[in-house]
Amino acid sequence: MRARVLQANALSKRYGATVALSDVSLTITQGEVHAILGENGAGKSTLVKILSGVVRANSGGMSLAGEPYNPHSISKARAQGVATAFQELSLIPNLTVGENLLLPNASARTFWPESKSSILRRAAEVLREWQITDIAPDAIVEDLSLAERQRIEITRALSHASRLLILDEPTAALPDPGWLFQQIRRLTARGVAVMYISHRLGEVREICERATVLRNGKTIDTVDLSGVDDDGIFAMMVGRSPESAFAEPVVARPDADIIVDVRNLNVGKVRSLDLSLKAGEIVGLAALEGQGQQDLFRALGGAVKPSDGKIMVGGQAAALGSPRRALRAGSGIAFVPEERKTEGIFVNLTAASNIALPKIGRASHAGIVYAGLEKKVSAEAASKVALSPRYLGFNVGSLSGGNQQKVLLARALITGAKCLVLFDPARGVDVGTKQSIYAMMRDYVAGGRTILFYSSELSELVHLSSRCLVMYGGRIVADVPRAELTEERLLAAAHGHSQEMKVAV
Amino acid sequence: MASIEVNTPRQSRGLPTVRQIVESAFPIIVIYVVMATIYSVVQPSALSLYSIESLFNNSLPLMLAAAGATFVILQGGFDLSVAGIISLANVVVAVAPVEGPLGAVANLAMVIAIGLLVGAVNGYVVAYLRIQAIAATLATMIICKGVALLILGAPGGYVSDFMAYELTASIFGAVPIAVVIAVAVMVFWSVFRTTNSGRSLLAVGQDENAAALSGIDVARTRFASFLWAGAFYGAAGYMLAAQTATGNPNGGDPFLLLTFAAVALGGTAFGGGRGGVTASLFGAATLMLMQKVLFAVGVSSFYTGVIQGAIMILAVLFSAFVQAVTSRRNSL
Repeated sequence: MRARVLQANALSKRYGATVALSDVSLTITQGEVHAILGENGAGKSTLVKILSGVVRANSGGMSLAGEPYNPHSISKARAQGVATAFQELSLIPNLTVGENLLLPNASARTFWPESKSSILRRAAEVLREWQITDIAPDAIVEDLSLAERQRIEITRALSHASRLLILDEPTAALPDPGWLFQQIRRLTARGVAVMYISHRLGEVREICERATVLRNGKTIDTVDLSGVDDDGIFAMMVGRSPESAFAEPVVARPDADIIVDVRNLNVGKVRSLDLSLKAGEIVGLAALEGQGQQDLFRALGGAVKPSDGKIMVGGQAAALGSPRRALRAGSGIAFVPEERKTEGIFVNLTAASNIALPKIGRASHAGIVYAGLEKKVSAEAASKVALSPRYLGFNVGSLSGGNQQKVLLARALITGAKCLVLFDPARGVDVGTKQSIYAMMRDYVAGGRTILFYSSELSELVHLSSRCLVMYGGRIVADVPRAELTEERLLAAAHGHSQEMKVAV
Repeated sequence: MASIEVNTPRQSRGLPTVRQIVESAFPIIVIYVVMATIYSVVQPSALSLYSIESLFNNSLPLMLAAAGATFVILQGGFDLSVAGIISLANVVVAVAPVEGPLGAVANLAMVIAIGLLVGAVNGYVVAYLRIQAIAATLATMIICKGVALLILGAPGGYVSDFMAYELTASIFGAVPIAVVIAVAVMVFWSVFRTTNSGRSLLAVGQDENAAALSGIDVARTRFASFLWAGAFYGAAGYMLAAQTATGNPNGGDPFLLLTFAAVALGGTAFGGGRGGVTASLFGAATLMLMQKVLFAVGVSSFYTGVIQGAIMILAVLFSAFVQAVTSRRNSL
């Protein structure tokens, strides 16, 4: 039996009325890589914050290597050997890599500041120790790519973790986890414990031995990963056995009405694009990064004005150019953007206010908006996306990512639009939320409406689309019918290979 | 495309990048030098020691006030108490003058203590009680102005001879003391910005959240910024007293808006995280020099405000433009 590094007993944390964590207990032993699994909103982030000293638990206790552990700041946690690589990257953009690595005390001397070259030398030492050879210590952080920044964030945590390293979604921006896994193994060989939080089960199985599953802020169980299959883990995460994630796909009747008809659209990277969406179909869109899909979606949603071309909605020409006009045009297009934090949501309003926003007229008498009415108006839409009504009164900022996404979708539904345009609607949300989103999409088109959605996950496109368009270089290069949908076919087309070319390659 | 570089480590660059130059005090120094050249051409008498002395003596109080405000603005805050502290410091020096060089030091200690005290109140209320900075510092400004009027109901009082004559003169008959003080502040800043406190200040202004997660004590950094600001405002009031040789309970009023104008002109971002004290010193000096230049070329003083405002907008537009260009380059 290896020595215990971290022992947490019955941790609880409330934010106002929201219970983020109740009665969470876990044990992490020396040299172990311990996974924390759970849906969005299960309490993982709160647990990370408590362990790393950002917030303090309302009740419960922790011990670290046998000593009581109750850090009230990041530096206190670090002083006891606990370091965290945060999901939201905590680097200062206009400082150098070296300064960031050594913060908060970049200068090691008390009376006269250390010279920049001496700081950079020490930082280079840290980079060398953790085998980063391609990033210079004097590079400015804002010049780095997201993946490079993530590695620096991880390196900083590695260099401070003498007892416990906490990694919160460390591979979210890393194309290849090889480097990370190598460093984790070096660290655990010294007896340091690692807490690993990730949505990617494959990775978790590769690097972790045991996993603790959280659900609704409670510990469900700690399991040996070799003794349980993925379905078993999903079942623990969502609290029911997972129905097959993707039910029967929907296909439009051939004679269905055309709801949205796009002719010769030019906007941003989009080059003379034609597109039509029929009632009752879910049209997928596959593309590599930056092929013009953002421009297309933003034009359809009315967020940008096309430089040329026609967008017909329900048979009338739509003079788009503002989201308000997009909604008004004929039967309306409702757009759910990708950047929900910056483009979509009012974090300081309640979920109900956010949902009811497009229909403020319905929630008001004589121009005054009543909270009660707002709730009533938003409740129906919320139920369609399986958003629990108890969240309606909370500020959106305090909800988890998955629930924020549900709020946005509910808001799109409440507009009564005949067409939904969804940009990666299930990105970064957990299994349970994904299922609710898929169910909502199917339900929506069954009522004679239509959906165009982009997804960065090919499996999602293959299973959910009635047909799938592929964009490359600003044009639609393939329209793959249901029967021919495979991930390989989409991938080849997304790289610009037509079917004939694919044979040649 | 930036991704091509992925496998080659970026080499240490000995020369600063364009962005580093543009974000430094360099542009405002250039503007200042150009304006000074114009001034000396249209007004050759400007090169006499007397007019150089008086120009810098005129500018120094605003330069010190702007230097102080920069500490608060760099961490993303706002501080209106500048007008109150300058008035209070000015009045205290005028009602309690202590003669001789040691007396001047004693007076300086008094006003800096006042500045630190008010700064501590500002800092505590803003950083620890989390009251909005505008509301909190508006209140302390009003209180300070009230206290200044209680101490001295109308302009008057005496400033010690040493302050009024020696501090406004020149060393060796060549270098105005005002210039020595300004250079000392620049040297102080160039060291301070490389200390851990200096880095924390810029980091908090850049991204408060990331700074906190990096282990920086955000509240303490904010608190300290108000202390520095208060001390500098006190010194500004002190130099105002030296320059005017009198006490005026409303003497700080004109500084309120000019201080922010000087900081903006220097290129320090009001959102925090970018800029510096040296740039603000030059921003303030430029504002004061501009008045002289406009007067020298015969522009009616009624237009001074209009032209100052227009130049400020151009300066802010310029820094916004640089921001946009450099960040676009990064996103490609």
